[in-house]
Amino acid sequence: MSEKKRSSQWRVWHRWLSLVFGLQMVIWTISGAYMVFFDLDYIHGDHLVQDVSQPLPEGTEVSDLDKLLTRYPETEKASLEARRLDGKLQPVYKLKSDKGEFLVNAKSLERIEITQHHIEDLANRYYAQESADIESVVYMTDNPPTEISETLLPVWQVNYDDFGNTSLYLSETTGDLLVKRHTFWRGFDIVWMLHIMDYDERVDIETWWLKAFIIGTFILMITGIVLLLYTITFKRRPIGGAQ
Amino acid sequence: MIRFIQWLHRWVSLILVIQVALWLVSGFFFSITGHHGMSGHQYMVSENSKPPLKKLATQVDFTEMYQRFPSAHLIELVSVAGVGQYQVTLADGSVLYFNANTNENWSTGEALATQLALSSYNGPGHVEAVERVMGSDEVNGWEASGFRIDIKDDLNTRIYIDEASSQVVEHRNTPWTIADWAFRLHFMDYTGGRSFNHLLIWSAGLFALWFSLSGLILLGRNITNGDFNPNRKKTWLEYFQQKGKPIASSCGGGGTCGLCKVTLQGSDIPSPKAAEKALLSANELDAGMRLSCQHRTSTNYEVKLHNEGVSDIALTLDSKRQLTPSIMELTFVSSEPVNYEAGQFMQFRIPHLNEILSRHYSVATRPQPTRFVFNVRQLPSPSEGVPPGIGSNYLCNLEPGAHVDAIGPFGDFQLTKQNNHTQVFIGGGAGIAPLRALIQSELAAGSPRRCIFFYGARYEKELCYRDEFERDERLNYIPVLSEVAKSDAWAGHTGFVHETAMKWLADENKDTLDVYVCGPPPMLKATLESLADFGVPREQVRFDDFGI
Repeated sequence: MSEKKRSSQWRVWHRWLSLVFGLQMVIWTISGAYMVFFDLDYIHGDHLVQDVSQPLPEGTEVSDLDKLLTRYPETEKASLEARRLDGKLQPVYKLKSDKGEFLVNAKSLERIEITQHHIEDLANRYYAQESADIESVVYMTDNPPTEISETLLPVWQVNYDDFGNTSLYLSETTGDLLVKRHTFWRGFDIVWMLHIMDYDERVDIETWWLKAFIIGTFILMITGIVLLLYTITFKRRPIGGAQ
Repeated sequence: MIRFIQWLHRWVSLILVIQVALWLVSGFFFSITGHHGMSGHQYMVSENSKPPLKKLATQVDFTEMYQRFPSAHLIELVSVAGVGQYQVTLADGSVLYFNANTNENWSTGEALATQLALSSYNGPGHVEAVERVMGSDEVNGWEASGFRIDIKDDLNTRIYIDEASSQVVEHRNTPWTIADWAFRLHFMDYTGGRSFNHLLIWSAGLFALWFSLSGLILLGRNITNGDFNPNRKKTWLEYFQQKGKPIASSCGGGGTCGLCKVTLQGSDIPSPKAAEKALLSANELDAGMRLSCQHRTSTNYEVKLHNEGVSDIALTLDSKRQLTPSIMELTFVSSEPVNYEAGQFMQFRIPHLNEILSRHYSVATRPQPTRFVFNVRQLPSPSEGVPPGIGSNYLCNLEPGAHVDAIGPFGDFQLTKQNNHTQVFIGGGAGIAPLRALIQSELAAGSPRRCIFFYGARYEKELCYRDEFERDERLNYIPVLSEVAKSDAWAGHTGFVHETAMKWLADENKDTLDVYVCGPPPMLKATLESLADFGVPREQVRFDDFGI
């Protein structure tokens, strides 16, 4: 009969381990299911924005390269593109040096300062949902919300009053769309935090407690397998059992 | 409901257990390796500072490129290895690359690819090989032509360079390959695409959700039941197990095996729980029968163990004889008298190699305190090289005078209490033993009830104890043979024993029968199903599936 008694011991262990590790297992499966069931492109918010690039207006004259580089000699990378500013499509050079990026008028080579008015206009053009109701526009220089990286600062945050509480983040120097956030991205961020158990920065997957919980859950699983071997029977028991 | 959840938890875990193990192992790998260790970028320069465009003395002007591609969405000028490169993005999103000095298509030779690879590399190795490739299994989504530069270093680094643009596509190395496999296991995406939005993992995710939530519900029930309270009262099962009392349980207190039956006596006995309603019959519940794992110790009522009289018995083999070609009759004696009922069985302790095996055998006679007769079916080797049945072989090879240890008696395959029902015995093969004990016991009573015994065998020579059963006029003995040769002079019934029994049963009043069944599993199953089909009430059917 001793082998029969042993299954009780396994059951006691299974219960106690599940009290600690089983709860994390529930969190892992719920957070895992969230990540699995919501398409990653949707989470990324690809449906929220559209490509706004377009050719330069016909017959545009642009300044040549020599003039550009004489005026901005530190330029490491230059690009010519069209950008809608102040209600009309304008040719601009986007210049990148080790000091950052900025726009200049492609003809006059005057530097273009991006204003809040430009940002709202640009954000509405990126925004791909039906009605673009801007709720607020915030210029951020420090204390970024947890949903963006600190390296994006300073940045414009454009908040929409829509289903997903969309926030678009635009560069203060170029007006480029940097990142987009919405409710389901934020939900993903939370379940990701719960999944990797880094409740602070949400990036560290090497914490000792994560490893400890994985090992603990493994032991929980072993006790479960043993119980399974004891209790799963392929024989159908007649209702009422043996008389 | 709780039983359904238990069932769900167990079977889903059976389906899921391997994937859960893979999730845990790969997750543990991620945790000890970290993002950086899995990226393949251990020796990758984060970003090269580029020389100012002014120093390149570019020959081709932006205006020239614009005139050539007036409908381009974007024209960029960058420096690649000290040479200007125009990148022209067209309306369809495709990108063309041009040399800003020659205005020709950009091209990447082996030498340039190697140079760019090395400038993106800050490890200790050197170039071992350069190979032209068309995309790579290691770089998801890159299918263009390019180069693989193999670096000889401790991580076995590979650097991929795109031919059309000269861009460094990716760094790969051995830790990356291992991590990639861990991702395949974790995401169940064996294409290498690292997608976790596909049908396979949706199903696994659903199963895992059901599994963990059912576990959570069961845990909640454990908490409300006080299973985690260190001062809680024990269940009766735990109590008896601790006292070393004989009580059977194979699930260990989960309320699923139904073996730990006890009878409660008193005016204030607890009402049956779901597990008991499922595993015990209405009659048993009415009689106060409960599962000892479902109730905590209490002084409000008495608890009677079903196997109270169980004890260790030292048996000595007295005699043995061959009953039929396959069944041996062994007669043991004990020095101490043992109280048992007809139909009960003993558990033999069979030494085998370094362990003790348990084998159950029913006593084949009516109770005799110091004398025990068993029928042991000899299991021959099913094929050469496979050993014959360990327990039966051991017992059949014992010689008179040999000792063997047993525990018992066990079992509730016993005669019904006095009523005036007809006693119907249906058996086959070695199932003869407990039936013979019951028949002997019934016939030895003051006024035995009407008895009929259907016994099935394959051949006439397998009809064990035939003379004894035929001699007694109070017993209607009906042997049934399933494999009769034409040459045999057999005038009796043929076919399966339950078929003959059911024909007889057709003319009987089902409510005044007590049926006892014991035999090989297929015969037992067929008989029980037929009895149910014929409408014999379940409470009037007793069977024994041990000892075969």
